Amino acid sequence: MFAITYRKIFLGIAAAVVLVSILIISVLGLNLGIDFTGGSLTEVAYQDSPDKEQVEVQLTEAGFTGFSVRASVDDVGRDAYLIRTKDLTELERENLSEIVVKLGNEGEVTRFTSIGPVIGEELKDKAGWAVFGVVSIIVLYVAFAFSGIGTPVSSWTYGGITIMVLIHDVLVPTALMSVLGFAFGLEVDVLFVMAILAVLGYSVNDTIVVFDRVRENLQANRQEHKIEISEAGMMKEEVTYTLTKPYEEIVGTAVQETLARSINTSITTMVTLLALYLIGGSVTSTFALVLFAGVLAGTYSSICIASPLVVTYSAWRNKKTELKSKE
Amino acid sequence: MDKEDQQTSEQSQSFLRWFRVVVVIGLIIWVGSTVYQNATAADAEKPFKLGLDLAGGSHLVYVADTTNVEPSEVSELMNVLRDVIERRVNIFGVSEPIVQVESSSFVSDSKTERLVVELPGVTDVSEAVDEIGRTPLLEFKLYDPELAQQLEALSSLGSLDSDQGTSSAAGIVSNVSLNGELVEDTENELPFTDTGLTGRYLETAQLEFAGANSGQLSNEPIITVRFTPEGSDLFAEITRNNVGRQLGIFLDGDLISAPAIREAINGGTAVISGGFDLIEARELAQNLSFGALPLPIELQSTQTIGASLGAEVLELGVRAGVVGLTLVLIFMLLWYRLPGLVAGVALLSYITIMLALFQFVPVTLTAAGLAGFIISLGMAVDANVLVFERMKEEYRNGLTSREAATVGFKRAWSAIRDGNITSLLSAIILFWFGTSMVKGFALVFGMGILVSMFSALVITRTMLIALPEVKKSDGSLLSKLFCNGFNFKNKEVAKKSSSHLDNSTE
Repeated sequence: MFAITYRKIFLGIAAAVVLVSILIISVLGLNLGIDFTGGSLTEVAYQDSPDKEQVEVQLTEAGFTGFSVRASVDDVGRDAYLIRTKDLTELERENLSEIVVKLGNEGEVTRFTSIGPVIGEELKDKAGWAVFGVVSIIVLYVAFAFSGIGTPVSSWTYGGITIMVLIHDVLVPTALMSVLGFAFGLEVDVLFVMAILAVLGYSVNDTIVVFDRVRENLQANRQEHKIEISEAGMMKEEVTYTLTKPYEEIVGTAVQETLARSINTSITTMVTLLALYLIGGSVTSTFALVLFAGVLAGTYSSICIASPLVVTYSAWRNKKTELKSKE
Repeated sequence: MDKEDQQTSEQSQSFLRWFRVVVVIGLIIWVGSTVYQNATAADAEKPFKLGLDLAGGSHLVYVADTTNVEPSEVSELMNVLRDVIERRVNIFGVSEPIVQVESSSFVSDSKTERLVVELPGVTDVSEAVDEIGRTPLLEFKLYDPELAQQLEALSSLGSLDSDQGTSSAAGIVSNVSLNGELVEDTENELPFTDTGLTGRYLETAQLEFAGANSGQLSNEPIITVRFTPEGSDLFAEITRNNVGRQLGIFLDGDLISAPAIREAINGGTAVISGGFDLIEARELAQNLSFGALPLPIELQSTQTIGASLGAEVLELGVRAGVVGLTLVLIFMLLWYRLPGLVAGVALLSYITIMLALFQFVPVTLTAAGLAGFIISLGMAVDANVLVFERMKEEYRNGLTSREAATVGFKRAWSAIRDGNITSLLSAIILFWFGTSMVKGFALVFGMGILVSMFSALVITRTMLIALPEVKKSDGSLLSKLFCNGFNFKNKEVAKKSSSHLDNSTE
């Protein structure tokens, strides 16, 4: 199986991807939207829009400070500006919309959102806790579902690797968002959090399907040894297993057998994402793009990271125990 | 068993298999037609519930000040608050407003109680804010001489000058007007303590004239409020225990009047009078009769979405869904052939059941929810794909199509189970921790997992097993329809051309 044979290359690529993603995120940062930071966002659309500078000058004259104006297109395709300010009071809001509506032809405030700093802070808390909760429950479940899988690595290894794969799959779309934020000023909002959560679900599902096949093949390719030992006057039966094929080969077969499924499911998912990106309107296009990157990463990782990592880990452990026994 | 018997039993089995298919498909069609009627009929009982971002409207978040309330009472008070605001919102004719209480979860440090108000169709926030702001906050507080002395020590305040007014046998508290200066002071500086008697115990409010009750000459408009039975008991208790003290009546934090309690009042009515003119009094009575706030609230965030945009987003989303669905159906049909067709029917059933759940639960559809649903179309076929891949292996090894299907389902089960349980656990956790928007997503996500499992395990299975039984070695057209890949002609060619995707071909 190519993924296992050339695992060093694939794992190397994955490591590089993870490093580059972390680098991108830490250098460019994420452009947090008002969902997280608190503040107000006003979208004003025009038939003929005024210059951006004109909007900025007018707002400054009216006494607004610390705002940012970004050109955008509203959902019906009119030219619009997104004006981000601090959390506005009712009076300030009226004042602002009065000013901006007059600036261009047929101005209209098409969206206004104001979020208090407390809500934003809480959302950050909650999103963090939710991700933490999901990750822990997945490790526990995988460790439980794969318990009794036996040699040569324990069920906790599968759980741990599921999470490592997950981190890879989440880092890639996050880095993409970071780049989009840097290049086009796109902001991280609640929709992004949801896209990441969906990637989480997809990634785990994908990894587990492969591991499930590994589990099945391990059970099919092992020999049972029963040893009876007397302990404190009681006869106890201890069962140990040895594999009839190299672990590497068993895992390789499992990856191969699930390959068609991995690819077909990602094709059907990506097809719908593409439809959403191209036709679904501006509100969800970023959402679709982020998810697309996540699904792509998830497919790569379920084939080229998860199983190779298990094999590499088991080889490393074997070496360690060999070294120990030599000493 | 002779041959004839065997034949009849086989016939009846085959009949039974097809009968199941007819039942399943019939049920799905029935659900589908119900969904369609609900979605299109103007007066449907259960239409789709569209979120604000699709329908347009305002979203307001209020924070309730619960500092002076016993923690155990908070949730009940919030429910009272919700009912009051709901009544308030209902009177200005918004279709299907949503008013709900949202507590900050236990993970955050500060415990805050919020009231979320969603007004579909109202795109003028100021109007909405004003309307809700008209709901009065009514509080009854006792005059506290000790506190008064402390306050007096702090600053030279105006003194309370009691002016014994009217009293009546009906148990109406006599009116005591206050020194004008004092009324204008802020609430915090007034020497009054909470009694727990608030607008939550209000039943009705009525405009009356002072003269009618007391025979006084001035025809001053007053408002008679009647308490609920609980409130009456509380009021009686307060008045009984505090005879001689002053009971301050506060409206929106301002002291309106502070009559002295002359005797225990058991009738359950009180009078608010504070030099209102007729119009003021009528308005106040009206506002009070819709309910008074049990807690002070403050507007924390607002959001408006234009109505025309919502419709546009919805239309684009539906179009994307239809295109995505068509592409998935085509792919499944080309790759998995006959089983692919079955998976297509199962996918259509999945959509039907999900839409029915959206209507009947009901789930409020937002742009994000819609996007999540569209993506789930791609993921929902996963269980089918898992089964078909297992089935393919068995079929190639010489089992008949039906045997292969049965074995395929059995073998794929552990993968389907583990994959879906972890996803379901994630959905539950998200629902538990999430804010309202994430909650909606988690709900759709979780429902999608369960329904897609059902569609694969029940619908796909029923249909797949009812299909005629063939073997790969038959070489007939039908037997080829159970194979997969894009090439129909020759096994070897098919293998080569699809080997980049299908490496498991032996």
